[in-house]
Amino acid sequence: MARTPHPKKDIEMALRYAEWQGWRVEVGGSHAWGKIYCPYNSEVCRCGEFCITSVWSTPKNPLQHARALCRVVDNCTLNQLRGGKVPQPRRES
Amino acid sequence: MEYLFTLNYLLPAHDCDPDVLVERLGAGGCTDALVGTGLAGRLALEFSREAESGEAALLSALSDIKRIIPDARLVEASPDFVGLSEIADIVGVSRQNMRKLMLNHAGSFPLAIHEGSASLWHLAEVLSWLEARGGYALQHPVIEVARVAQSVNVAKEARRVGTPSAELVALLG
Repeated sequence: MARTPHPKKDIEMALRYAEWQGWRVEVGGSHAWGKIYCPYNSEVCRCGEFCITSVWSTPKNPLQHARALCRVVDNCTLNQLRGGKVPQPRRES
Repeated sequence: MEYLFTLNYLLPAHDCDPDVLVERLGAGGCTDALVGTGLAGRLALEFSREAESGEAALLSALSDIKRIIPDARLVEASPDFVGLSEIADIVGVSRQNMRKLMLNHAGSFPLAIHEGSASLWHLAEVLSWLEARGGYALQHPVIEVARVAQSVNVAKEARRVGTPSAELVALLG
């Protein structure tokens, strides 16, 4: 069953990326639009707090929020161990 | 300027329902933070906060949490405590490269907070040292926010033991 898409395009793209990496997306909340769940949330996973990350309905900066969500997926320890993308140092202008 | 930093909190037993807390954070204007609730009794907030300075960014975030979850206790502000790999990642060099730099300048490289199987440094001190040495294109917001994070963490720790005696301070050199 297809889930409800996020109204902000950038965030919807980040959610699809998370799903593609095996994360589960759950819709629900008011200020919160929903949550993403790490597929490896297990005893050996060291990601900790961000194994469950909230997604805002109307974040202050949707693009920034989308980037932050992708960062959580890329930072996942087990994802990296199984050969996932390793995040590069952040470059700001 | 936009500042990126993370605050980790220990939640009080009487106020630790993640869904309720996330809604309160949203209502309280913290939608510039990514909220992590993957560990029971813990809360992590990765802020991307717009502010005049790193200090203003961090202090306003701390004050928001104090207001929204009054009994939450700050565990750590990051980026501050870092190991060699993290330093290398932030600076954009290899871990081996960073290790060589540290060993070649053992006399002037910032002192570790803890040395052991996993040694730790204060990120701000390492970045300031690299900046003084020159040749590294460092991101200014990172140094600035790391300095404030260090003040926050050190102040929080110092409060646990009280003011050190004059005798102790003299001995530390």
